[in-house]
Amino acid sequence: MKKNDTILKNIFNVVFPVACAFVLGGILIAAIGENPFLTYWVMIQKSLFSVDGLLKTLHFASPLILTGLAIAITFKANIFNMGVEGAAVLGGFFACVVGFTVKGLPTVLHIAVCLLTGIVVGMLFSLIPALLKAYFNVNEMVVTLMMNYVVVEIVKFLSQGVFKDPSSGYVSTYPILDSAMFKKIFNSDLTVFFFIALLVFAVMYVVFKKSKLGYEIKAIGKNPEFSEATGMRVKNKIIIIMLISGAIGGLAGSGFLMSEKYRFTMDFSGSPGLGWDGMLIALLGSHNPVGILIAAIFYAALKTGSEYIGVFTNVPKDIVGVIQGLLILLLSVKFLNERFRFSNKIRFLFKKSSKTDFNK
Amino acid sequence: MSLLSSILYDMVYHSAPLILAVLGGLFAHKANVLNIGLEGMMLMGAFSSTLFVFLTGSLWVGILLSVLVTLILGLIFSFFGITMKSNFIITGFGINIFVLALSSFILKYMQMANINVSSIVDVTGLKINIPVIKEIPLLGSLLSGHTVITYLSFILIAVTSIVMYSTKFGVYVRVVGENEEAAKSVGINSTTVKYAAVLIGAALCAFAGANLAVERMALFTNNMTAGRGFIAIAAIYCGQARPLKSSIYAIIFGLAKSLAINLALFAGPISGLFEMVPYLMIVIVLFIVSAVETRHNTIRGFKLE
Repeated sequence: MKKNDTILKNIFNVVFPVACAFVLGGILIAAIGENPFLTYWVMIQKSLFSVDGLLKTLHFASPLILTGLAIAITFKANIFNMGVEGAAVLGGFFACVVGFTVKGLPTVLHIAVCLLTGIVVGMLFSLIPALLKAYFNVNEMVVTLMMNYVVVEIVKFLSQGVFKDPSSGYVSTYPILDSAMFKKIFNSDLTVFFFIALLVFAVMYVVFKKSKLGYEIKAIGKNPEFSEATGMRVKNKIIIIMLISGAIGGLAGSGFLMSEKYRFTMDFSGSPGLGWDGMLIALLGSHNPVGILIAAIFYAALKTGSEYIGVFTNVPKDIVGVIQGLLILLLSVKFLNERFRFSNKIRFLFKKSSKTDFNK
Repeated sequence: MSLLSSILYDMVYHSAPLILAVLGGLFAHKANVLNIGLEGMMLMGAFSSTLFVFLTGSLWVGILLSVLVTLILGLIFSFFGITMKSNFIITGFGINIFVLALSSFILKYMQMANINVSSIVDVTGLKINIPVIKEIPLLGSLLSGHTVITYLSFILIAVTSIVMYSTKFGVYVRVVGENEEAAKSVGINSTTVKYAAVLIGAALCAFAGANLAVERMALFTNNMTAGRGFIAIAAIYCGQARPLKSSIYAIIFGLAKSLAINLALFAGPISGLFEMVPYLMIVIVLFIVSAVETRHNTIRGFKLE
């Protein structure tokens, strides 16, 4: 009974904020004189109720699954790593550079080299805040946030200068070679990248649920000093957690570039970027791998659907960002706390005559 | 000489919004509420002040309305964070992303790339030139020719110090931050104190945003705060949440920004890289401050904060 209660409570704690965010978003849509029901219907219909749309949703979900996992692994250890966004951008950029400078490799090898570049760059990027956090106790949140801005400036500088494609009208690098592109499967939007994301998901599921590291992450998240006292090397673990997070973030960026964008532009990561979407997804999935998978697909559906809103209504597609902000805001609160018991409430409804306090 | 004076002028110019955000964040930080929402509140101040000036056609009415709107945002943050006991960091990020999306949503809806109110606000007219000091070479560029809110921000450093250390309210804020149970036991309403601390921060952030957008450029562009709220948080960390010390860090970051802008003129092709100097400097300053603090740390293993 107790386990069922926890599951019910967790579901309520996710579904209620989602419903609230959509109602508030609907009020905003109504306020600018559009029909909220039509807008939401267009969003869902285009992204979930057609085969093409569904495949497109899955395609856009792939980087989001990865960034969600990357954020979740650090948040679960109570490390607020905001550098996933930076890792994704940097990973995407350098995968792109390798994608058009290295020539003459067979497809599989070239893709592997590009992905590996993204992973390594992401790891190197998150090594800096990890070392600062572990050995000097520098607040990782501020450092990673600042480094995100540094990354944007570096990438802007490089893509305006050395790697700029002169034939393109705006700031953009050269497109990657054919051999570095993920091929579309059966003319749909889906690529092998989705299956790579699923593979990473499976690995992370095992890490979270079955491995020693997963347990240690949980313990550090609950109480780092106690974990240290019981013999865990918290410093090393923090570095390992950050490296995993950076690697997955870099993979997300490089894969997204090679399966969707093919060339690096300044709006590569979108607005808000992949990393911020990942934060929402990690929260929606309450740092649980399966939850993250569902949340990523749900959010990808919203994003895919939002592309079509403009065709049918006058609502700007930024409405998805507004809903995202509202969702994060509402998800930060546990509406039902740990003492709340569903079964007691239900029993209470049936046995109204008895005035016993079940919460005792 | 003109380079030096323009560096000094820009230093004051870029420090002002940072100082306001630092002072605003201080109260919340002292009350043990980590206000990550500073960035979003500042952006809200910048956006709403420009929007209201655009809609009402009056500068001061616009700024007043924007303070009200930002206070509502502060109320939302306090309600979630303090009454509902949420995770401050995530709530703050929710605020940041929400404001960023809302402003770009409204801009798209109004079909404008940015809000330009230069026809209503005369930017050069807002600068106050102090008669005698203006003529003194370096001091003149340091002290004269700034806007009202800029002067206000520097005056507020002293005001904040006095409020924090010499008034009942300041003592309450610090007591609540250090030991909430003790504060409650002597009859301090800790919730009210925390709400007040966050709301002061929201109001000051609104001014910072107004200073950034309306007063200086008469223009709002998407995401124009560009991380200044986080820089303010870094400054609070480095200055151990003391008003003067944290403000000095804010001024150092202002100096970095001004150096980056002024020296980029001479850098030629790599001038683009100068943009990242202020952000990099924060990482380095944070590192040095923390390294000095942890040098005498003899505790074995990992210790949080």
